[in-house]
Amino acid sequence: MIEAVNLKKEFRVNEPGEGTFGALKALFSTRKRIIRAVDGVSFAIKRGEFVGYVGENGAGKSTTIKILTGILVPSSGSARVNGIIPYEDRRRNAANIGVVFGQRTQLWWDLPVRESFEMLKAIYRIKPDDFAHMMKKLSSVLDLGPMMIIPVRKLSLGQRMKCDLAASLLHRPGVLFLDEPTIGLDVLAKENIRTFLGEINATEGTTIILTTHDMNDIERLCGRLIMLDRGRVIYDGLTNELKQRFAREKLFEVEFRVRPPSLADVPELEVVEERGSKLSLRFRDGAGGDLAAVIGKLAAKYDVKDVSVREPSVESIVRSIYEKTLSLPPYRADG
Amino acid sequence: MGTIKIYWALAMASMRARLQYKASFFVLVFAVTLFYAAQLASLFVVMSSFKQINGWHTGDMAFLFGLLTFSLGVTTLLFNGLQNFDALLINGEFDRTLVRPLNPLAQLMFSRFEASTVAHSVIGAAALYYGAKMSGIVWTPQKAASLPFVIVGGVLIQGGIRIFVNAVAFWTLRNAAIVHTVVFSGREFVVYPITIYNAGVRFFLTFVFPIAFINFYPAQFFLDKTGETLFHPALRSLTPAVGLLVITISLYAWKAGIDHYQSSGS
Repeated sequence: MIEAVNLKKEFRVNEPGEGTFGALKALFSTRKRIIRAVDGVSFAIKRGEFVGYVGENGAGKSTTIKILTGILVPSSGSARVNGIIPYEDRRRNAANIGVVFGQRTQLWWDLPVRESFEMLKAIYRIKPDDFAHMMKKLSSVLDLGPMMIIPVRKLSLGQRMKCDLAASLLHRPGVLFLDEPTIGLDVLAKENIRTFLGEINATEGTTIILTTHDMNDIERLCGRLIMLDRGRVIYDGLTNELKQRFAREKLFEVEFRVRPPSLADVPELEVVEERGSKLSLRFRDGAGGDLAAVIGKLAAKYDVKDVSVREPSVESIVRSIYEKTLSLPPYRADG
Repeated sequence: MGTIKIYWALAMASMRARLQYKASFFVLVFAVTLFYAAQLASLFVVMSSFKQINGWHTGDMAFLFGLLTFSLGVTTLLFNGLQNFDALLINGEFDRTLVRPLNPLAQLMFSRFEASTVAHSVIGAAALYYGAKMSGIVWTPQKAASLPFVIVGGVLIQGGIRIFVNAVAFWTLRNAAIVHTVVFSGREFVVYPITIYNAGVRFFLTFVFPIAFINFYPAQFFLDKTGETLFHPALRSLTPAVGLLVITISLYAWKAGIDHYQSSGS
């Protein structure tokens, strides 16, 4: 469905000067610096997949999305979306994809929401029956009814995002690109959007690529995760696999009746945090991780009142990877 | 046919969007009408003391002004969406036009209806009508049939210039100053017959920045200025051809600009 082969994208930027004087000097300088925003990215995404595309700012997420949507031409490598080369056949590609940029709206700012939908109906040549069907479906799931007659500029951010999502799906695209769709939304609005995206993916079979900084989005929605760092893929696999791989990162919350002075008898664990008789523990680096055995050992040696095990969140894993406190094995794209 | 319907829908939507701000719409129509009416009036004042400039009388001057201003009205109607194009590039909104299954330039053209088009057209038409009357133009079938072609040619020249200077923004990003100078100040040159300028300026306005074809050369034809030839008599009937040439060149520049944008992402 979506295929990227060794995509590279270089930008030439003028060397910016420092301070006002430097900026003036830069005005007349021809020194260019080459920035490689995307540096050999490959992946293949199958129909119906829901993929999280994550990375820090400047990792190359948006540049990849811009190549796949036909906005940018790659410096080298190739991409195909639904069999179409997006940057060579931009308009045909556009008819098959939906795009939502969280920071910008694609609706008509000064017109009521309904009119934007009518415009898109014309632009994408949607048949009246299909339009009515999709409109009904989208407005019942997203509860668009009350917003339809309001000019877009008067919508709240959450309402606007709902309308933008609806707008991107009216023509039933096979692929949906979402660039930070939950940015700036409150918890409830985020949750609504997530539920909706999950539903669309399941019922319409839409292939979805989501870039986000909110790992809760990924955890809730994305079966698969592609992580970028400085223009390269550093992880591409199942989200759950990433969690399992770092299961050693599991935290044990142990409450003792009598707090032991040390845990010398259980050398596999180290203390992360102390709160009175409650300790947060985790496996020491390099220690074998048999969960049941370790808990048994704890209970046998000490007077334990309660034990709970906390799964590491994708958030904490991803953060640790970028902070280099966790490391991934070198990534090789196969196939 | 379907495509035309889509652009028509876009144009209508932009007009409805503009009419959301009713007060501003009417104030702008009023203010711009006043501005061009004042320009026309000052022309009459000048002419009342000069009587004629290089053989061009008051009616001739009004006709010249009418051709220029009426074609500006049509140009504003069709090309106003290019106004502040550099801002669309800088804030990334231009990306939106690239992810729709339509031509980006056409999307821009029909994206922003502006009230001043009404003012330009009304004042322009009035000046054309009274100018022709005062000069006593004899509307032979040939002249009557030529008028629409001359207007279209003038629109193509002005639209082409706008496309061209905005294509420059793909490289420079900020170009509002260039656009303003070229598009809006440039036209002041041809409010008068270009015979009043020296040879260099005449050459420039004919062959380099050919805005003299919007009004001066076709006006020579309509007003039967047989006694006065600049460069070559054939120029008076070349406005549509020059229009086609200018728009063709500018579309190439625009295409090159989009290619540059897609490869630089700026």
